[in-house]
Amino acid sequence: MPGSSPAPSPGRSPIYSEPVELRKGRRPSTRWLVVLILAPLVLLGVLATSPAQAASAADGDGQRVVRVGTEGTYPPFTYVDPRTSQLTGYDIEVVEAVAQEAGWKLKFVQSPFDAIFPALDAKRIDVVANQVTINPEREARYLFTKPYTYSHGVIVTAADTKGITTLADLKGRTTAQSETSNWAQVARDAGAKVRSVEGFAQAAELLVQGRVDAIVNDNIAVLDYLASTGSKDIKITGEAGDEVSKQALAFRKSDPALRDEANDALEKLRDDGTLSNISEKYFKADVSVPDSGELELEGSDTRSTPEVVRETAWPMLRGLVVGTIPLTVICFVVGMLIALAAALARMSANPLLRNPARFYISVIRGTPLLVQLFIVFYGLPQIGLKIPSYPAAIIALSLNVGGYAAEIIRSSILSVPRGQFEAATTIGMPYAQSMRRIILPQAARIAVPPLSNTLLSLIKDTSLASVVLVPELLHEAQVAAASSQQYLPLYIFAALYYWVVCWLVSLAQNRLEGRLERFAV
Amino acid sequence: MTTTPTDHRGSSQSLIEVAGVAKAFGDQQVLNGIDFTAEEGTATALLGPSGSGKTTVLRSLNVLETPDAGTVRIADASVDFNSLPQDKQLRRREIAALRSRSGMVFQSHNLFPHKTVLENLNEGPVQVQGRTPEEATADARGLLEQVGLAGREDAYPAQLSGGQQQRVGIARALALKPQVVLLDEPTSALDPELVGEVLGVIKDLAQQGWTLMIVTHEVRFARDVADQVLFLDGGVVAERGGPEVLSDPQHDRTKQFLSRILAAG
Repeated sequence: MPGSSPAPSPGRSPIYSEPVELRKGRRPSTRWLVVLILAPLVLLGVLATSPAQAASAADGDGQRVVRVGTEGTYPPFTYVDPRTSQLTGYDIEVVEAVAQEAGWKLKFVQSPFDAIFPALDAKRIDVVANQVTINPEREARYLFTKPYTYSHGVIVTAADTKGITTLADLKGRTTAQSETSNWAQVARDAGAKVRSVEGFAQAAELLVQGRVDAIVNDNIAVLDYLASTGSKDIKITGEAGDEVSKQALAFRKSDPALRDEANDALEKLRDDGTLSNISEKYFKADVSVPDSGELELEGSDTRSTPEVVRETAWPMLRGLVVGTIPLTVICFVVGMLIALAAALARMSANPLLRNPARFYISVIRGTPLLVQLFIVFYGLPQIGLKIPSYPAAIIALSLNVGGYAAEIIRSSILSVPRGQFEAATTIGMPYAQSMRRIILPQAARIAVPPLSNTLLSLIKDTSLASVVLVPELLHEAQVAAASSQQYLPLYIFAALYYWVVCWLVSLAQNRLEGRLERFAV
Repeated sequence: MTTTPTDHRGSSQSLIEVAGVAKAFGDQQVLNGIDFTAEEGTATALLGPSGSGKTTVLRSLNVLETPDAGTVRIADASVDFNSLPQDKQLRRREIAALRSRSGMVFQSHNLFPHKTVLENLNEGPVQVQGRTPEEATADARGLLEQVGLAGREDAYPAQLSGGQQQRVGIARALALKPQVVLLDEPTSALDPELVGEVLGVIKDLAQQGWTLMIVTHEVRFARDVADQVLFLDGGVVAERGGPEVLSDPQHDRTKQFLSRILAAG
């Protein structure tokens, strides 16, 4: 009635609600959605800009912090000493001595070899100390110090293999190599097929299992493996060419000052005998000069299986507690917020909300998680967005969970009968309130089983974070396996940890479902 | 007690006024200009063959369907669908005001399954109207007593029979203290032996002076309860009159419909 002022019934406040066209389904109100969508994005933004260290920053004492990239799985050069759980090895001690000489403070970053140079390019590390062999391709891209190791390549085969003793014999054969190592190139040049592995121990395992014919590698690494494992299953059959290969520290082209400091330091260490002392400690010979003579190695890890498992149980548990579990919890919570926003945006009548949500869900579900992780961690730095490991893993995993859970939440909301929304509307509820109080509680019950699956997948997917250098459970198992070559017991043990956690989660799921069942129709 | 409807406002105007309401779903024209009024304190029965648009008329009264044209007024709240305000906020406000004048009982009750009977009744009064839980609960207990469900406050809907669920649905609509109660085929989804208890409750409401709009197939019930009968056919009000229309229909369509229904019943 125009003109007449409304005469509200006693105690009734004005009620505003969305003029929804119910026949077309529940349509979210735009303003409310925008808030919901911005919230998780802001959260991710905060993560992305949080403690990203600048390259070679100075710490409080004015000492330069230099981040060293190294495998930690390549004994005796760089590995985790099973007795102390400390990173150690020939390369580690050399770079530590250099740091002392040059007045640097070191921060070690462990990474698979194939990810080391991308990390250097992305300024996540400042130097590589990992028996990097100098070759023309690498010299074109990076700065090297003077060599601190002289070695030569050898050909390794299984004990019963005959007839592979020279590079020429490799033609048409399959070898196992680190994809980006110079030895992979040597094998390719000899006409061999290359199967990509992470570290020498894995390559040796493939050789023992008969999955590859040979390995080309550094003589020192092979001698260490033989001494550590006492393995009679593989043998050195010959030299891989007669060239002496030289290994040195590698820096970015843009860091010549750092390289020069390292060179000066190496010079001093060579002169005062430190370098040769370190070498003697590991090899009973001086590999820091071109002609080292006969090498004699004790082996870096000679523990028995029960010892290895016993001593790795704790580091793996630590990886579970400080890596896997927090990563899972954070990513699940952030992922659920993203999922809710994406689900509601996907159902919106507004194409500016609906289409981006569709695109996001489609991309997440249509690309491998590993690729998503690589894009966030290694790709974004190339356009200037440098995100540290842990936040990078959180962003990638959260976005991934968000994409999958969005569809679960959307279908759960749609499976709540439309009459529920109508009933809420007729008692005067606006859109947001109906969602919060009526629809979502019912959708939640429907969503519990599929979301539990998402959570279980997430727990296991956090193991992929090891490739972006997050020290979680699997990473610890890999480190221990690399130094001890005890693959089966260690990986079974890791599997056991994952299984126990997942089992506990499914117990919780059953309890939750039981609680929600009480009002089941 | 809150079990009685709001007082007369001393106006000579009808409580409900519907004029020229039209609605199409896609190509299908469901309502072709609906006009009627209903007086305060009366019960109006909407009858007609399926597809005649009676449910759509009811749902237009609280804008669960937005008419394409026409005006709807309940008491002091009216919406002119021929010229809805451009401003979204204003439009929302107008529709909300109209909606707040009525309470609705659904064919399939649509109780909130995750809330107890008491919570179902209090949801609107407390969460939307801002009344205190104590006050709302006191009223709710009175309403539950009235529909014969005293003592079932803490039950979940799934623990009730179909007839009980529908009576809770009625109580939930009344809890809003609406000026009109809209009932959309309130007994169609019930087992035959449960229909009586629900019809009994609705009859009580009519006697207490609630203004009711009822879509129904129960011709005998309509004859007993209704002060006004609207017979819909082809999206228009084909016949309108007192309950005697049902005994002595004037239009052929009404006659056909009634003879079919009564023969089947």
